[in-house]
Amino acid sequence: MTHAKRALALLLAVFIVVGVAACGSDDDSTTTAATTTSGSEKATTQEESKKPATPTIVVRNGAPVGGVQELEYSAGDEIRFRVSSNQADEVHVHGYDVEEEIPAGGAATLAFPADIEGIFEVELHGSETQIAELRVNP
Amino acid sequence: MNLLPFAHALAARQDLPIPAWLFAWGASIVLIVSFFALSVGWREPRFEEDRWCPLGAGLSRALLSPPLQVLCGAIGVFLLGLAVYSGLRGTEAPDRNFTLTFLFVTCWLGFPLFSVLLGDVFRPFNPWRAVARVAGGAFTALAGQRPAHLAYPDWLGRWPAAVGLVAVVWLEIVYGVSGGVAVGLSPHPAAVAVLVYTAYTLTMMALFGTEKWCRNGEVFSVYFGMFSQLGSFAVKDGRLGRRRPLAAATRWATVPGSVAVVIASIATTSFDGASEGALLSPLEWTFERFSDADLGLTTALRLTDTIFIGLCVAGVALIYLIGVWGMSTVAGAPPRRKLWTGFAHTLIPIAFAYLVAHYFSLFVFQEQAQFTYLLSDPLGAGTTDLFGTASSGIDFQLLSANAIWYVQVGSLVVGHVVALTLAHDRATAYWGDYRQAARSQYWMLAVMVAFTCFGLYLLSVANA
Repeated sequence: MTHAKRALALLLAVFIVVGVAACGSDDDSTTTAATTTSGSEKATTQEESKKPATPTIVVRNGAPVGGVQELEYSAGDEIRFRVSSNQADEVHVHGYDVEEEIPAGGAATLAFPADIEGIFEVELHGSETQIAELRVNP
Repeated sequence: MNLLPFAHALAARQDLPIPAWLFAWGASIVLIVSFFALSVGWREPRFEEDRWCPLGAGLSRALLSPPLQVLCGAIGVFLLGLAVYSGLRGTEAPDRNFTLTFLFVTCWLGFPLFSVLLGDVFRPFNPWRAVARVAGGAFTALAGQRPAHLAYPDWLGRWPAAVGLVAVVWLEIVYGVSGGVAVGLSPHPAAVAVLVYTAYTLTMMALFGTEKWCRNGEVFSVYFGMFSQLGSFAVKDGRLGRRRPLAAATRWATVPGSVAVVIASIATTSFDGASEGALLSPLEWTFERFSDADLGLTTALRLTDTIFIGLCVAGVALIYLIGVWGMSTVAGAPPRRKLWTGFAHTLIPIAFAYLVAHYFSLFVFQEQAQFTYLLSDPLGAGTTDLFGTASSGIDFQLLSANAIWYVQVGSLVVGHVVALTLAHDRATAYWGDYRQAARSQYWMLAVMVAFTCFGLYLLSVANA
């Protein structure tokens, strides 16, 4: 009896440790991205001085420079970001169903209220590639 | 590499991972409930008996009447036909085509839910059973005798269904690859798969008999039927009735291969949940090895996923095996083989909880599409509008992130409690001595805690 109990206690202890570890790592990942930062160094350094930072996603030949960007907001915020592209294309935010045309060599600014919680893909319609992941936290 | 789970192809929105505090709360509640369960255990089995009582004869006659059965069968055949037709002829955009949402969300996720609530509701709508019954009836009328069947080998049991279950999920989440990128299944191959499965199923029904094949080999009958064992409504001897909830599950796993079915169910849901987060780096690592070996990107990606589905099945089986082995060390234990099948039904609530936790929001959102634009414009052609709902969309504000999180964590906790209840009950039936029975359940408790915390962990890493 004591044997089995001890084994069980050990197992439960392992679960708790794993759980706590998982929580810890979660905390790290969520606190780093405060509100609206994109991974692109270019965008963050450019916009740092201004107060309401508008991240820019740079698209070259139908692909995002620096990979799929992350945009994070809280529900109730205003979502605002720019997409520039050397080719004409159309940006589409899934779920919100917001679409915006980009002229060749130009940029488009997308702005809309963050009223749906969840994770959404931001895609180019021309090349069907994902350029950003939009997260709206409650 | 982009390992895109199936849900992405359909849904424009994914769930946020459950936050750390909710993970901690969920895990704590599970542990507290588990220790509480150890102390309140009853001493006599309570669920081994059905306590069947028939419902009103009029209701029974109406619901089981031949015209209604014909109507349900016809609806099943019509909808399956529509799914095949729209898959072959409709748009290849997965979210605008009736086929994928109908097959993999409305049926594949809807029937488990309604089976738990209402009993085996798939049976009357089963299109293959309906076709086979009509064919069998026609044969009897023409030949003047009932069709003869081969004897179904007993040892084969539900193994064909277990293999089929993995195959369905493989098709759903592994097959759809384009140039090394998982794009999800497209409507056309889905329709072809339905046709292939139809030919296979009707052949098997002709060989072994319709009802025999439905009980053992027909993937959907067996899979949905498994969940119907948890609920309290069932048909027995041609009469509709109620039984003690969960009681029927205690006899479900006596057919060989049943353990494999429930393990496959948990493992495939785990893989779908883990491929986005927990398993992402091992998947990427393996994929790179295979692509370096010049297998071609498509083969490399499919092979990677296939291996990891296999590993998930092995992992779930191993956890259960440890529980069985542990129980067998307790004095007075029945043989290990008996324990292996005897406790398999205790995993059904876990399998159901995993389904709810992983697909609840997809189901709620995608059913809005099913009953609006996918019904009005099944082909996604943009020109038809049968019910005037072709231009409606999905209201993504219907569920807040918090509501989804609570349902997810709640379902895992409830599934955990039900699983513990069934396991404890079975132990009191297997061990004459109550103290030994309680001792054996430390092991099953560890198994259940492992599954539930693993489920919570998957939700906390990535929630697709």
